[in-house]
Amino acid sequence: MEDLSQHILDISFNSLEAGCTRLEICIREDLENNVLEFTVRDNGRGIDREDMQRVTDPFYTTKKNARVGLGISLLREAVERCDGTFEIESKPREGTVVKASFVRDHVDRAPLGDIAGALVSLIAGNSGVELFYSHRFNQKEFNFSTGEMRAALKGYSMQTPAVLVWLEEYLRREITELRRIKDEKFGRAG
Amino acid sequence: MKSLAELDKLRETLQREMKARDKEHDISIAVSMGTCGIAAGAREVVKVLLNELKEQGLAHVALTQTSCVGSCKHEPLLEIKRGNEKVIYVNVDQERAKEIVRRHLVQGEVIKEWTDS
Repeated sequence: MEDLSQHILDISFNSLEAGCTRLEICIREDLENNVLEFTVRDNGRGIDREDMQRVTDPFYTTKKNARVGLGISLLREAVERCDGTFEIESKPREGTVVKASFVRDHVDRAPLGDIAGALVSLIAGNSGVELFYSHRFNQKEFNFSTGEMRAALKGYSMQTPAVLVWLEEYLRREITELRRIKDEKFGRAG
Repeated sequence: MKSLAELDKLRETLQREMKARDKEHDISIAVSMGTCGIAAGAREVVKVLLNELKEQGLAHVALTQTSCVGSCKHEPLLEIKRGNEKVIYVNVDQERAKEIVRRHLVQGEVIKEWTDS
């Protein structure tokens, strides 16, 4: 994986495959405390105790077509590479929370990457899922939900190419603006 | 949200432009989005597909996703279904994705050399 938004996309697809109807992605960047962390929370079917013990084993998967389960292992590895922390909590039939926290200025911390593209990829084929996105950057915050978008569309389908292309541009604009640093002390946001 | 006004305008335009496009309803594109697909660039492929579908005015082609289909070395991979016809394209980069929309979806030509068979 080249950037963190690919991990976020990957973990979120696990949620979709777990049959979630609600998906929350939260990113928090705190430059003062040198932290970049993200949380993916779903209300999917959850992971039972037996599978939980093997969830970070790359040679374990519950999927029929695959022989390896690399997603979570790759994320944990990316976290450990930059002295971060990785947590996963799950309750069968209630949902799963994956949280990854990174030392923000660690030399091995991958850039956040194309988060707008990741969100739009998630929304494109999944009309039955409510997505909530919240991104905190120091004191500033940006929130987005498919619910408010749907309301604004007044019945017109969100899963229309022109709407999704608009959404991608909108999210990219807002997130870039959010992450713009006016205080040069902290350098550029990567 | 200031941009909602912008979105509303877009919706009105789209609704005005909406024509009878029934024949598009049975076309779907499924992009493989397992860990392997994502690492190989599936997200970029989705973005190009959306852009090209928009450009070509194919508003009703269903873009969906599948998980790893066990063919990781051929990622990014996508499957196009039109009625009973099913075509799998392998190693789809951004250029190919654009061409697939133009040639397969618009002109109805299967680009054999990019398929899995």
